Amino acid sequence: MEPNAPILDVQDIDIFYGPQHAVDQVSFSISRGEIFGLLGPNGAGKTSTLSAIEGLLTPDSGTVRIAGHDIRENPAHAKANMGVQLQSTSFHADLTVREIIRLYAGLYGVPTPPGMVEGLLKEIQLEDARGKRYGQLSGGQQQRVSLVIATIHDPELLLLDEPTTGLDPQSRRQLWDRIERIRKSGRAVLLTTHSMEEAEAVCDRIAIIDHGKIIATDTPEGLIATHAQDPRVKAVSRGPRVTLEDVFIGLTGSELRG
Amino acid sequence: MESIELATPTRLQVFRALFKADLRIQWRNRRASLMTLLVPIIILVSWSGIVAMLGGPSVMSSCITIGLIAVGLMGYANSTARAREKGIFQRLRVTPAGTFEIMASRIAVQLLQMLVMAVVLFIAAYFIDHITLSVGGYVLGTFASMLCGAVFLALGLALVGLISNAETVNSIGRLVYIALVVVGAIGELGVLGSMAKNIVLWSPYGSVKVLLLASMQPSAWDMTATFALLVSAAYCIVFAAIGIRWFKWSAE
Repeated sequence: MEPNAPILDVQDIDIFYGPQHAVDQVSFSISRGEIFGLLGPNGAGKTSTLSAIEGLLTPDSGTVRIAGHDIRENPAHAKANMGVQLQSTSFHADLTVREIIRLYAGLYGVPTPPGMVEGLLKEIQLEDARGKRYGQLSGGQQQRVSLVIATIHDPELLLLDEPTTGLDPQSRRQLWDRIERIRKSGRAVLLTTHSMEEAEAVCDRIAIIDHGKIIATDTPEGLIATHAQDPRVKAVSRGPRVTLEDVFIGLTGSELRG
Repeated sequence: MESIELATPTRLQVFRALFKADLRIQWRNRRASLMTLLVPIIILVSWSGIVAMLGGPSVMSSCITIGLIAVGLMGYANSTARAREKGIFQRLRVTPAGTFEIMASRIAVQLLQMLVMAVVLFIAAYFIDHITLSVGGYVLGTFASMLCGAVFLALGLALVGLISNAETVNSIGRLVYIALVVVGAIGELGVLGSMAKNIVLWSPYGSVKVLLLASMQPSAWDMTATFALLVSAAYCIVFAAIGIRWFKWSAE
């Protein structure tokens, strides 16, 4: 793979659910050290797009390449390069934190020498919870375990699906610090979030998806500058300064979805 | 664009990690596993007086058949439906683990449970009813228990394939269990008429029971046992095909 080649390359994917065109010719790419936000209202096609990247869903057309590996042709290699934090926590509630970490290390072929798991748990301040079953952890603790597992194999690409939902401000801050460190290490991050403040603060680039199509892609500042004078954006802007949320609502509409 | 050469885990590494985790979960839920032994043990105790009339291997084959149905329909089907509903399969599928390894590891643990159950029932039958088999009967009976177990695991998979809601899988699994066991046990005695007796004989309950009975008495193997083997294999293939064809990894 060439040094400047994108870590994630999504080209012209289409996904249909019966007659419904859920994802329509979506294309974007993410480079090393970049945090890319995929924003959209409920039902816009975010989850379907993410599912296609994760290999959970096969698009009707188009390609997804992760670190140069096509997810359809070479799923094991593509998935070995990708860490995923799903929206809902979904680990075996009967396993302890230590056992879950060992399971996922095994699935990625990562050796777990003595002290390795304990070191990881110390890093996320969960060393006292290593013997606790996953189901006994609080939401914030589960989220921290989930991020450790998503990064256990040091992936080139990290997918985060609404990672801060349900977290208290302390946990949220800690999570963003960790994500920032991941970015600095040269990894790429694709995240979805409903928090426009967060997206504006942490994303290098943002794509807004609606009705299955990407309707805008740019840096947060670029999106605001490009659309600040759009009458749809001005109509929904509530302050003197146009925000990313104004742009988002202006472009995707004010009506409630899903 | 060239690809990076990566250390992707081998299928064996993946299977080993999954199997260890599934085995641990099974052990943590051992109370539920013990429940699958309850009905066979009750039968062993309550049928003590008629063992001489029915024959030890016949009683044993009934007990093991009922235990296998419980593991397949209530243990395996329920745990698979619950794991799916919680999104555990989806989480595993975003790793390099293939769908084959994910399923194979769960099935391997269930087959192991069936093996343990058969051995426990052989021991319990000896102590409760003084039932003994030949060495060949024990070996073949244990092997047949796993083979027959595959029929009910496939039936459990078909159930999970056709029904997405975990609670419905639980209810329907129990209903099918009761129907197979009650109709099977009563029907094979001829109480429901000769037609019902024939239907029961070639039902999953009947064919598995005949196969187990013949395996425990290898010297008495006959054409009926061979047919039971073929019918059991056919059930296994059909149920597995239905389960695989309609199985969904997500409950949504």
